[in-house]
Amino acid sequence: MIEARNVYKTFKTPDRREVKALVDFSTRIEKGEVVVIIGPSGSGKSTFLRCLNRLEEIDSGEIIIDGIDIYGKKVNINEIREEIGMVFQLFNLFPHKTVLENVTLAQLVVRGRDKEEATKVARGLLRKVGILEKESVYPSQLSGGQQQRVAIARALAMHPKIMMFDEATSALDPEMIGEVLDVMKTLAREGMTMVVVTHEMGFAREVSDRVVFMDEGQIVEEGTAEHFFTNPTHERTKLFLSQIL
Amino acid sequence: MTFSKRSLITLLILAIILGASYYFFATRGITYIWHWEKIPEMLFYHGAKSAEDAVPRLRMGILMIGFVLTLKISVFSILFAIIIGTIVGIARLSNEPVTKGLSLAYVEVIRNTPLLVQIYIIYFFVGSLLRLSAFAAGTAALSIFAGAYVGEIVRAGIQSIHKGQMEASRSLGMGYAQAMRYVILPQAFKRIIPPLAGQFISLIKDSSLVSVIALADLMFQGQQAVARTYHAFEIYFTVAFLYLVMTFTLSMATQYIERRLAISD
Repeated sequence: MIEARNVYKTFKTPDRREVKALVDFSTRIEKGEVVVIIGPSGSGKSTFLRCLNRLEEIDSGEIIIDGIDIYGKKVNINEIREEIGMVFQLFNLFPHKTVLENVTLAQLVVRGRDKEEATKVARGLLRKVGILEKESVYPSQLSGGQQQRVAIARALAMHPKIMMFDEATSALDPEMIGEVLDVMKTLAREGMTMVVVTHEMGFAREVSDRVVFMDEGQIVEEGTAEHFFTNPTHERTKLFLSQIL
Repeated sequence: MTFSKRSLITLLILAIILGASYYFFATRGITYIWHWEKIPEMLFYHGAKSAEDAVPRLRMGILMIGFVLTLKISVFSILFAIIIGTIVGIARLSNEPVTKGLSLAYVEVIRNTPLLVQIYIIYFFVGSLLRLSAFAAGTAALSIFAGAYVGEIVRAGIQSIHKGQMEASRSLGMGYAQAMRYVILPQAFKRIIPPLAGQFISLIKDSSLVSVIALADLMFQGQQAVARTYHAFEIYFTVAFLYLVMTFTLSMATQYIERRLAISD
């Protein structure tokens, strides 16, 4: 479903140094697969996610999603993005819109659904993430965990084929992490294709099909969560796991 | 409660001092006979206008006619300035060099030349070429002038919105224009209401400059009335008060809008 081939991505820092975020990066993600990407900060894991929907542009290589080279010249990136939901570390809900409006907006203006249908879809998803009773409040009145659940509902409302989570629980207070992970676990069990950047090893162990450990823009090691917890082979992996577990 | 009582007394004392010194200097400092009674008829009067229009009824006096024209030119200019400013503000943030360069040139040229000169150029040069009326030329000059400032305010407002808002919109499949329209600009406008209000208050006051192209605005009519009656002090005080009515109303209106929009905070 997703294939990255020899992707290079370099950032320029303000003082004109070059930082290599992705170096000859290749991977395949199958339909229905739940892939968890772990790694130290600056290892390129968020960059990889952001290249999958072109929030960042790659320098070279190719990324193919559902048979379409998303960096191809004739590609309408907005159509690709409709199929890829993204959940951000800082939620990025629209603060001037109510919870319900947050979930209906893109349905109305991008999917072209009428208001009644969009509202129905939104209510269904808000119920699914357990926050329907808050549909008419503004995001600022919600806790972090509630906001992130609304953000997940907002992404799901487009009925995407792939969901990406960019450190979705990193900005949350510890007692709210569980409620967001529960929603993510439900999605995983329903067969959603998921690419998840996280430090939550419990989540990885419980639902992931594959764990990818990245460092310095490359995949150092990949395998099942079980493999990572019982016998990681590389020194860097061992060092990293010893630090976060 | 004690605070408001105390400030009320302070205000009262201040008013008494101001009032007393006003009468002292105004009547002792120079020889001037006040004719405040002439002012009401410059606002409204009951009677005939001319031989052709002799029906006696309530009519607007000279200052009120000027007030209405100033109000009209200000409202039109504010509307156009918002449109110009929004376009320029977005253009200033464009990655496309020509759009970016042109919008920057516009802002710099307009902000760094006197409004009075711009009014003359637009009225005598552009206005002659395009056969613009004095009203159209005056409105154009004020809109173009204020548009440059509003453009910078809008740009700052857009830049103040967290980039995650644009990323979230785009990741949902919205185009750049849709994200701007539904997500970025509504938030930016809410934030820039205070500086916008200041800009539009300036615009209302600056509109007095259009009297130089013989537009019969409040300032122009005031000057006419002074020339005719020599009641300079009363008339200019009244003119100032009428400007204050417009600017203060705008101030109050924007504060009301700010409070209304604060519900999502």
